[in-house]
Amino acid sequence: MDIKITYPAVKKRQNFLDWVRFILKCLAAAAVIACPIVNLFTGGKPWSLVVIMGVYTAWTLVLDPDLVEYNRISQFVKAVLCAVALLGLIDYALAPGFAIKVLPIVIFSALLVAGGLFFSDLQRQKQNMMPMLTLILISFIGTALGLSLYHGTGRWAMIVMGCVAFGLLVGCIAILRKDFIRELKKRFHTK
Amino acid sequence: MKITKNNAFGKYLESLSEDQLAKTDALFQDLQEHCTLPKHWAKKLVKDFENALVYYHQSGVAPDEAHRRLQPRKLGGFYARGAAAWFALDDAAKVYPLSMGRSSMAVFRLSAYLKEDVVPALLQMALNFTIKRFPGFATTLKKGFFWHYLDTAKRRFRVDEEHDLPCQPLKVSASGSQSFRVLYWKNRVSVEFFHVLTDGTGGMEFLKVLLGEYIRLLGAEFVPEDMLLDVYDSAAPQETENAFRNVASEKHGAGFVDKTVVQMTGPLAKTHPCRILHIKMDAKKLSQVAKSYGATVTEYLLALMFLAGKAATDELEGQCSIQVPVNMRKFYPSETLRNFSMYCGVRLDIGDITTVEKMLPSIHAQLTEKAGKQPMTQMITSTKKLVSSVRYVPLMVKQPVAKAVYGFLGDKIFSNTLSNLGIVRLPEVFYEYVQSMDFVLGTAMTNRAECTLVTFGDCATFSISKLTRDPSFEEKLESLLQLDGIPFTIEGSGYYGH
Repeated sequence: MDIKITYPAVKKRQNFLDWVRFILKCLAAAAVIACPIVNLFTGGKPWSLVVIMGVYTAWTLVLDPDLVEYNRISQFVKAVLCAVALLGLIDYALAPGFAIKVLPIVIFSALLVAGGLFFSDLQRQKQNMMPMLTLILISFIGTALGLSLYHGTGRWAMIVMGCVAFGLLVGCIAILRKDFIRELKKRFHTK
Repeated sequence: MKITKNNAFGKYLESLSEDQLAKTDALFQDLQEHCTLPKHWAKKLVKDFENALVYYHQSGVAPDEAHRRLQPRKLGGFYARGAAAWFALDDAAKVYPLSMGRSSMAVFRLSAYLKEDVVPALLQMALNFTIKRFPGFATTLKKGFFWHYLDTAKRRFRVDEEHDLPCQPLKVSASGSQSFRVLYWKNRVSVEFFHVLTDGTGGMEFLKVLLGEYIRLLGAEFVPEDMLLDVYDSAAPQETENAFRNVASEKHGAGFVDKTVVQMTGPLAKTHPCRILHIKMDAKKLSQVAKSYGATVTEYLLALMFLAGKAATDELEGQCSIQVPVNMRKFYPSETLRNFSMYCGVRLDIGDITTVEKMLPSIHAQLTEKAGKQPMTQMITSTKKLVSSVRYVPLMVKQPVAKAVYGFLGDKIFSNTLSNLGIVRLPEVFYEYVQSMDFVLGTAMTNRAECTLVTFGDCATFSISKLTRDPSFEEKLESLLQLDGIPFTIEGSGYYGH
């Protein structure tokens, strides 16, 4: 065939990173399969749960990041939620007792950082409010559950967590006003 | 006014008289009034104006005329207002973000070939002026709790030189990212759209307006005459509506699942697409030949594609099926620029693929039966029912299910696609600047070729996106066209990935 070439020559693509990513994915998948089996055979504490959560965290944040809504708030909140789940599992499976005091501190610190990320670039970040609202919602649920079920010495952190979440929510509503409602309408539309 | 670091622009300013300098200053002040974008975007917009002024200066256009062509008021209020609008995806678009992957995204490309090489500075300005007319395109894909949606992106939209494969996935993950891209290469202007935004018809409207603005910047004057949207009009609400919702449902729907069919047997290439080909034919002769067979151009080309497909497979049994997208606007007139197309499949047993004359009655009968108003409305009914039945299912549940179903069904119920955009009509002055147009579909998963046709002036361009190096399909097509005496030339890319 006599073909007139009208397209630019395309440089060979850099496949190195794709290959690294592929190999890491294979290793992660192998770990998710192998660790529970080894754990079952060797017995003892269910440490494989921690491994699986760790692998999931690496998978969702690094190996296969979001195709839609990959922004600083969404990734930060995702990392925090993975860390919270990981800490919860470590508490459950390996070293019980610390999570009830540590998790509220982690979450209210994360709320403060998320708030900082949000308000420091409000014009653009107001379209990325949802992950922060999710964290606020989780904080409210955590505070309500924690205060009703736990009566130990770490309650102050839960109260602070609830207060920071409430403050952030009020701050968002006060500053965004109509945009806040509009944002919720967009996020929960069923059209 | 501050002399910028742009040397060429600095020299341009030095060459101006006091009076012209004051006018240039006024132009940039006017620009500032029309732009409240964040600093980094605003800077780029200013730079675009500077580059365009430098180009005009270098090409001998008088400063007053350059200022007239570049009036900031042509930006409208797009860059001066915040992002407020958002758009739910239309019923056909909902599946695209659910099924997309890192390396697979439903992207198509529309291109226009100009008679001169593209001037990048003017194309960028044309895009800056055009985007306000298409609020549905100035958007970023976002994730809701139940569905994805399009959120307005206020930014300076970018024009790039073409360096990559056609129809590559767009990076839509970042805040304010573009869901389409405008590219240029020598004398070609291309726009690649993520299918969530629009279909071929809506995309063509955008390309026409973009070309219109470009040739206006080159000095042409024209009235749109109902052939393209007026860039100075405001976008009508109907242009962004989900037109599927205006179609009254039929009692019964139509299924999406069908038997798998024969595929071309050339090995699948690792690079998608591995080649693009454009067969540029004499439109009149093509139409004449189709008429001589008593067929439409689409029916005739389908017949040729069946023959070429048969030549490209080792299978001796089974059926071949060609997907034919159907523009629903012909049944339900609509101004929408969003997706408003359905599709049907024309099927033939391999044994029945013999000669054009023998196949045409069956192709004609199937197109009449399957691409008519009622079957297409039934398909819309099914789509609407499906969308409605899962609307309260959270996206995090829908997404993996949709991905699995899409991966399972894939494109195995079709062997090939023929999307005919028809004849593109533009005001007379465009013919002084535009040579031809083409339409390229992104490759599917297993279909080794995806074909399109678009006609502009005397040139009908039949494009093939290849997914195999096996040249049997296009070689057979070439010989069939020669046999029927249709004059053509072939343009395209080399093989990618080798």
